[in-house]
Amino acid sequence: MNSIAVFAKKEFKTAYKDKVFLVIVLLFLLMSIASVYIGSTTKSAEMQAYQDIVSMAQSQGSAIPTAPEIYPLAILSNIIEYVTMIGAVLAIFLGFDAFSGERENGTLRLLLTRPFYRDQIITGKLAGAGMIIGALLSVTLLFNLGLFTVATGMIPNLSEILRLALFMILAFVYMMSFYIATLFVSLKTRDRAFGFLIMMIVWIFISFVIPQLADTQRNFAYALSSVSSTVTQVPTDTAISRIIELLSPAVQFKNISSDLLQVVSSTAFDSVFSIIKKNILAIVTIMLPTVIFLIFSYTSVQKENVL
Amino acid sequence: MLVTKDLTKKYQDFTAVDKLNLTVKDGAIFGFLGHNGAGKTTSLSMLTTLILPTSGSATIDGFDVVKDNLQVRNLLGYLPENVMLYGDLTARENLQFFGKLSKVKDVNKNIDEVLNMLNFTEWTDKKVKTFSKGMRQRIGIAQAILHKPKILFLDEPTSGLDPQGTKDIRNILLKINAEWGTTIFMNTHLLSEVTKICTDIGIISHGKLLVSESLSNLKENFKDAKSLEEIYFSIEGGVNNE
Repeated sequence: MNSIAVFAKKEFKTAYKDKVFLVIVLLFLLMSIASVYIGSTTKSAEMQAYQDIVSMAQSQGSAIPTAPEIYPLAILSNIIEYVTMIGAVLAIFLGFDAFSGERENGTLRLLLTRPFYRDQIITGKLAGAGMIIGALLSVTLLFNLGLFTVATGMIPNLSEILRLALFMILAFVYMMSFYIATLFVSLKTRDRAFGFLIMMIVWIFISFVIPQLADTQRNFAYALSSVSSTVTQVPTDTAISRIIELLSPAVQFKNISSDLLQVVSSTAFDSVFSIIKKNILAIVTIMLPTVIFLIFSYTSVQKENVL
Repeated sequence: MLVTKDLTKKYQDFTAVDKLNLTVKDGAIFGFLGHNGAGKTTSLSMLTTLILPTSGSATIDGFDVVKDNLQVRNLLGYLPENVMLYGDLTARENLQFFGKLSKVKDVNKNIDEVLNMLNFTEWTDKKVKTFSKGMRQRIGIAQAILHKPKILFLDEPTSGLDPQGTKDIRNILLKINAEWGTTIFMNTHLLSEVTKICTDIGIISHGKLLVSESLSNLKENFKDAKSLEEIYFSIEGGVNNE
């Protein structure tokens, strides 16, 4: 077995022996189940309300209103929030002591005297984290597909399966981006608790502060426009707030996911390719910092002060 | 054989190791002595390929620690000071991990052999976090010798151990050296241990090697000294007083 596979296997084994990690995984799965349940009951209630209106209209002899559009994948839309929040925390939890923990345990010195190249530790740890996150998302996907079928009585068509698969790939990339950033912080910090704290601050900033700033900007633009009365139609969005949101991979992930899981009606029946094309900048926003942190991690592990 | 030529490590203006010239013969148990901060761990870190020398060279069995670092790592076993290993994994899982990284072909066979040698078989499937310091040190040695290295580097192997733990580790090292012919390079400041185990010693102070001799020769050269402690202080003190 080569060194990368040995590392990946060990990371996988260690993660699933960690009780805190298992609690987060369980929470993740329970929330995804709950989200499907809530989504399906909401849709059922909407359909029931429509049926009631139809019955009432029929009894009164009035015209029957048009049936509401059904976007089946929207039932799963709550998962977007859970991946954005809990998924990111889970990735941070996986990576926060990837190197600082090895350093504190004294095992890093043992690893670095083994006959393999240093960059293989990074690749091995990435492969291990990828296996863990991949396994988790695959289980979540299968669970949700099953629940989706039970809840709606529909078997998802090819287009829906493609959208779901793409959503899961995106969720994987999003979670791995947090893992990679955490890995880099772990390489640079001596104290694992401090590294964890840094990443939690980053997470809060990305998930709450930046979106809040963008919202504030949006509201500010609305007020200005109202006062000046120069514009008759007040824009609900602004270029500046969109630029601010580009700083947050969490917002970008939510935007693409909303398109994929039919939350946005205008793209609900677009092809997967046109959704990718529309969101290419958002995808770059998620990928770019990941690539940068990855390069920095591979460079840092070669340095003496990694010890 | 381990040979260093003018091996030097500098950190900006500070010279941690200054032109170290050392030869350790195959099968020797070499005690590297020095006060805290003398340069022992820095020297050992260069020899184990963890850090790069600023100048000079070091070879193990003819392989350069910088140019042929992978070959050197194949030859060495290493136990740093205060190693904790992976607490959530059992002793066997820890050894399997390190064994596979050292490219041991039949890991489980080697683990059984080594644990038998260390009288540690009953603890194999217990989590390492439940072990005492002495037990952890034994597993630490097990991971270092699992691939039967040509040379074993130990950094203060008995530091913090009780007398029984110290004696156990000493016996293990003597056994490894006698049965496998493994060369042992040991950083220590415990002179009593050196007298009991080492065949050769080197004394380093403020980054400079003061002496490197066989223990018997050293005793011969300092006939009037009653103990190694006296020899150590006359060498180290002599230099410090100059």
